[in-house]
Amino acid sequence: MKKKVLLMGKSGSGKTSMRSIIFSNYIARDTRRLGATIDVEHSHVRFLGNLVLNLWDCGGQEAFMENYFASQRDHIFKNVEVLIYVFDVESRDVEKDMHYYQSCLEAIMTNSKDAKIFCLIHKMDLVQEDQRDKIYNERVQELQTRSLPLQVIPFRTSIWDETLYKAWSSIVYSLIPNVQLLESHLDNFCKICEADEIVLFERMTFLVIAHSTRVDNGDVHRFEKISNIIKQFKLSCSRTQGSFQSMEVRHSNFAGFIDYLTGNTYVMVIMSDPTIQSAATLMNISIARKHFEKLEGAQFSK
Amino acid sequence: MLKPKLISQVLQQATTGGVKATILLNPEGSLLAFAAQSDRDARIYGAIASNIWTIYSKHCKPEVGPLSFLMLECEEGKVAITVVSTMILCLVARDDVELGILKAKCEALTRHLEEPLSRVAGY
Ligand SMILES: Nc1nc2c(ncn2[C@@H]2O[C@H](COP(=O)(O)OP(=O)(O)OP(=O)(O)O)[C@@H](O)[C@H]2O)c(=O)[nH]1
Ligand SMILES: [Mg+2]
Repeated sequence: MKKKVLLMGKSGSGKTSMRSIIFSNYIARDTRRLGATIDVEHSHVRFLGNLVLNLWDCGGQEAFMENYFASQRDHIFKNVEVLIYVFDVESRDVEKDMHYYQSCLEAIMTNSKDAKIFCLIHKMDLVQEDQRDKIYNERVQELQTRSLPLQVIPFRTSIWDETLYKAWSSIVYSLIPNVQLLESHLDNFCKICEADEIVLFERMTFLVIAHSTRVDNGDVHRFEKISNIIKQFKLSCSRTQGSFQSMEVRHSNFAGFIDYLTGNTYVMVIMSDPTIQSAATLMNISIARKHFEKLEGAQFSK
Repeated sequence: MLKPKLISQVLQQATTGGVKATILLNPEGSLLAFAAQSDRDARIYGAIASNIWTIYSKHCKPEVGPLSFLMLECEEGKVAITVVSTMILCLVARDDVELGILKAKCEALTRHLEEPLSRVAGY
């Protein structure tokens, strides 16, 4: 099952950087070495077994952009499932960005009218902290009016913090077929083993695919923080020739377990009942393993 | 899957009339659930019981068949150890508890837990 994802935006806005961090195990610092993308770079990312993300990273230099809208129009904009448009928040030439963005929307409307559109206001780290909300809200407002009649889903992002994971988790979530089925099984798992929360991560990217929450935690950013932290940890494991397998964190009234679940996923189980023993939870995770393998096989083999 | 609280409740029901602790361990000897005065008690009893059980099992001659039950009279109490499916069940009781009642409790627990535990055994 292939899904075409277009990654567009002006040159230097950070498209290749985010793609490399999420899908190719770059750390943020490494992206400084990236050169400008020439024409379109295609990458196929296997995600959850049989779901393949077909990423089109479209170089944003003007000569290429003009080409996309003219001679390559059909080729680029046909059969798009998701359009991700990246805006550099520090861009000096907002009018020109908007012009290209609107041309892009036009092309999408005629060639892939059901495509979902995500707008990332990127490099937010460069904006002073106390200005971020204000600037972001202004940009979003303008984008939404300029995008009409199309609806867009906006995110603020930066490669230097976990916001990147939040945006990409939502993007990927929108591409997973029948994700509700997965969620209902996760709910069951959560209830039976009496967990506060269970979160399912994709194995390679550590993006959150689904979660089930019985006891609310209060930190709305916890998922992307954990994605970010564990991904970095996993990368540092592989630098020392080890491979990350599982971990358990425990104190007097909290226990967190991260372990692989299926060939394509990791699971995190959060327990706050100190009377429930680790061995019991670990056993439940291994029982769930078989069940979710089967579920995933059935869901993605079609 | 195991419902940890439900299992603890079952174990709790046996922990009366002089029984001080009822402990369920996985085949490696880790605590799965227990009913006892304290965590510490359960951990110590559990570690000793699983150790004794493993050593005895290892020394059972094949012609005698696998070990099915152990009763120990100690200075300060009595202990019964058995397996339910593949898990180890251990009861620790005061000195004045009769071995017969201890064995009966073990058997009652086994009847209760055998079926659910056998479903999670292979993991
Ligand atoms: N401060 C900051 N810099 C970023 C961020 N994301 C990317 N960059 C930097 O922006 C520069 C350009 O990034 P690229 O990913 O190559 O840009 P691109 O959109 O792929 O550009 P083209 O391929 O020419 O279209 C790199 O030096 C990155 O390190 C961010 O969130 N914050
Ligand atoms: Mg690029």
